[in-house]
Amino acid sequence: MKIKKYLSVIVPLFLFIALITGIVIYRSVSEQGQQIRYTATFLDVFDTRTEIVGFAKNKDEFAKKAQLIKDELIRYNQLYDIYNDYPGINNIKTINDNAGIKPVKVDPEIISLIEFSIDTYYETDGAVNIALGSVLSLWHKERMIGMDDPDRAKLPDYDELKKAACHTNINDIVIDKDNSTVYLSDPDMSLDVGSTGKGYAVQRVLEYAREKGLDNILLSLGGNISCIGTRIDGTCFRLGIQNPDMDSPEQYVEMVDINDGECVVSSGDYQRYYYVDGVRYCHIIDPETLYPADGFASVSIITDDSGLADSYSTALYTMTYEEGLEFVSKRDNVEAMWIMHDGTKKYSEGFIRKYVKK
Amino acid sequence: MKKNDIILIAVILVMAIAVLLGMRIWQKSSTDGDAVAVVTIDGNVYGQYPLSEDITEKIELPDGSYNILSISDSYASVIEASCPDQICVHHNHIKYQGETIVCLPNKLVVEIHGGEDNGIDGSTY
Repeated sequence: MKIKKYLSVIVPLFLFIALITGIVIYRSVSEQGQQIRYTATFLDVFDTRTEIVGFAKNKDEFAKKAQLIKDELIRYNQLYDIYNDYPGINNIKTINDNAGIKPVKVDPEIISLIEFSIDTYYETDGAVNIALGSVLSLWHKERMIGMDDPDRAKLPDYDELKKAACHTNINDIVIDKDNSTVYLSDPDMSLDVGSTGKGYAVQRVLEYAREKGLDNILLSLGGNISCIGTRIDGTCFRLGIQNPDMDSPEQYVEMVDINDGECVVSSGDYQRYYYVDGVRYCHIIDPETLYPADGFASVSIITDDSGLADSYSTALYTMTYEEGLEFVSKRDNVEAMWIMHDGTKKYSEGFIRKYVKK
Repeated sequence: MKKNDIILIAVILVMAIAVLLGMRIWQKSSTDGDAVAVVTIDGNVYGQYPLSEDITEKIELPDGSYNILSISDSYASVIEASCPDQICVHHNHIKYQGETIVCLPNKLVVEIHGGEDNGIDGSTY
């Protein structure tokens, strides 16, 4: 009899607690649900596609976050541009235009990129050289002509390449930090920051976004992808590594999960290239041969600095697999994946264990 | 506790679960929907094409340049284009939510809205 008496109290009490718990759980779930995933795509910086993935309660809130990132990217794009002038801005093109003429006063962000690039030059034994502009521009010119009209496609003249290669000495970049100027002492040299500028800009922009309190952001600048934090639900951002075989029904060769602050970038021969007499020539030039590198279909790097990821992937693309593997294994927090021309994949020691999710 | 009490509790529980499931399903259907290929040019929506209908559409720009969008077997692809780099034509066909094909010279983006999610947030290229 006593138990029955208690039951009449306990059962409603139990139901009441269950109800309250239910409401609390539902509210927390639906609040999380209010953070909707958005993507912003734009095509007007760094001559490539930019994608920002983020989470917000509504479109306007996300648009504000995306705009903050975009504004910074535009600023870096103008500073690091080698093809276009912008009113009132001295950029890398201004430095090139004044090679052998006079030092150019520039934004400190340009000096820090150039210093970073010079460090990278020594670190990669010259595989990444921003002073290679005179050589790269010869290839760039022929590639543009060849892509536009395959009948006119031809290789740059080898003697001209050799001549241009005499004007690629990294020591001819004269930096005066006190006066914030850069001077190219060789009048025939020019800077091309294609292998470092984009990655470095992404790194700086993400640092800025972090300072501004942004979280749960994925930023992809032409396939150079970095993140702040995780997805809103706490799981890692998941990225596909592009299959270099563009005819394959499988768009991705591997899927990787990256953690806060990590970056993925691939270098390959499958996007920017042209054909001369049936042979494919890609856009990554080996400074030693002065010809496009062709060792791999692609090389992908994962590391915790977007600027380094960009230059390492370019460097590894010009090295042999063995050299690249040694380069990677000497460094902490750097992993790589190579895809050979026959489609076989090779990995650095920790790549699969740390990143690959099936 | 009487037998009726137990029945009442059971009925309430079943109803609660039914409501919860119903809301779940409703939420899912309202966000997913059928897959559509949305074509934008320079950020402005040009057209929307459901992946369920096979079509071939020539998208022409005022300056005469063009991309030909094809939808077949629930995949969208660009099969021909006037651009010099042909990156959009070489791109794999797409079908999952959020996947894109981009033609930079023509400022054209094909993006899948709705439909199946492949759980990928981005990709290298």
